[in-house]
Amino acid sequence: MSEFIIETNKLTKKFKNRYAVESVNLQIKKGEIYGFLGPNGAGKTTTIRMLLGLAKPTYGSIQIFGKDMKKEKLTVLKKVGSLVEYPSYYGHLTAYENLEAIRILLDAPKSRIDEVLSIVRLSNDAKRPVKGFSLGMKQRLGIAAALLGKPELLILDEPTNGLDPSGILEIRELIKSMPKEHGITILVSSHLLSEMDQMATQVGIITKGKMIFQDSIETLRQRSKSKIAIKVNETEQAWRMLLSKGIQAEMENKQIYLPHSSDEAISTVVEELIHNRFSVFRVQEEKKSLEDIFLELTSGEGSL
Amino acid sequence: MLKTFASDLIKIKRKMIWFLIFLGPFGVVALEAVNFGLRYDYLTKLYADDLWGGLIGEARYLAIPALMLGLTIIASMIAGIEHQTNSWKQLLALPISKLRVFTGKFALAAVLLFASSTLLFIGIIILGIILKFGTEIPFLSLLKMAYFPYLAAMPFVAFHMWLSITMKNQAIPLVVGIVGTILSMMSFNFPDWFPWKWPSLENGWGDPIYSVFAGLGLGLIIYLMGSIDFGRKDVQ
Repeated sequence: MSEFIIETNKLTKKFKNRYAVESVNLQIKKGEIYGFLGPNGAGKTTTIRMLLGLAKPTYGSIQIFGKDMKKEKLTVLKKVGSLVEYPSYYGHLTAYENLEAIRILLDAPKSRIDEVLSIVRLSNDAKRPVKGFSLGMKQRLGIAAALLGKPELLILDEPTNGLDPSGILEIRELIKSMPKEHGITILVSSHLLSEMDQMATQVGIITKGKMIFQDSIETLRQRSKSKIAIKVNETEQAWRMLLSKGIQAEMENKQIYLPHSSDEAISTVVEELIHNRFSVFRVQEEKKSLEDIFLELTSGEGSL
Repeated sequence: MLKTFASDLIKIKRKMIWFLIFLGPFGVVALEAVNFGLRYDYLTKLYADDLWGGLIGEARYLAIPALMLGLTIIASMIAGIEHQTNSWKQLLALPISKLRVFTGKFALAAVLLFASSTLLFIGIIILGIILKFGTEIPFLSLLKMAYFPYLAAMPFVAFHMWLSITMKNQAIPLVVGIVGTILSMMSFNFPDWFPWKWPSLENGWGDPIYSVFAGLGLGLIIYLMGSIDFGRKDVQ
């Protein structure tokens, strides 16, 4: 068995003439919270549908728990819990009945229903019809359903979509607690990087069907190096002066940018500027946010 | 298969389905009650030799459209439960084969319609006794009246289950079902190979059992084709 819980090889899905997913190689290790990121329509949901056997790949293979998805789909799915896009539920049934309809199919013990209801804190609403639930509660019921079969792998597609901030926080805390408390590996997709930043340990970024980044979240963070911006009067002359002194600097938007450097180096630059009678208005550190990097990577897809 | 069936039974709780299962046979019996109530003298004279046979014959003509319309609505409602909130993706991501899911739904429709047929069987007996047709009840022809059209209509049960599952928009299966109901009502002049004629149990050999065999055979074929198609398609 390979070290990866999920491993795909050149996974491809073609709709007519358009590639929804093209040669995606996912690699997810045990115990990770893998953040699967991409703008809307990048191919996240299509990839997840293929992982769950809901859609057939046009090309490429999927290995989950080291087993080929094509050959051993049902064996694999026994150990997988899922929530795809907006929650699925039977509105006319109570939360308990909803879970019972799924429990029968999973052959799970009856006591498991109360367990999962308490995990998602819906025990008090178990006897109410689900159509009266708020979106957050429906989403939590969906997670409860995903947990029914004691999965080793949880696949959650946009679990916080459309939730209010407190709902998002609740789901996030729930997701973060899973690997610790239950040893579950999680694949969670989102189009919001800030959200992933707060829970994921690994990140995969997909855009236009192609995987463009896959590594730990730290690696992504390191890309967000800071720059020092200096605002002076007569920017151009000041910049030329600095260059003539052999100091690397760039000029942009009437500001001078220095690459990230030590405190001493900055003070030398400022000293030079003042010495040459330039007025220094501002010296500030400009840090690129992860969002900026994300936008850069997905080349300003514009759908955020 | 029992698992998917049990799960589907939970899902139809508090839906109108059970009410419809009751309404179909009740409607047929009630209309016959009105029919015989209003024209009691005329009809008892007409069927003087065989009162029970007369009642059964009259009921059969009403039972066919009720059955055809009923199976259309039941199939649409069973599939609608999953369509409504897009539960297919949740259901089919469970470790259950698609064949079993399809079979479970088909079995549910078949069992519910069987229940309807049984209610019709009981209802007509009660009506006959109330109408004082005597206690020499012809059970065999009653059984034939209640269950043979149901068995002969199996191709439609399988076809509608497949159509309703395949299409999210239930207007199309409903229209197809209504057209089918009308066809089955005026099928007397159609040739024997025409499936819409089978529930009427009329055929050139003069024995209703051939209509039943044809229905069961084609029903099985359509069920198999439907389940293969369902298994092949990507889930929406």
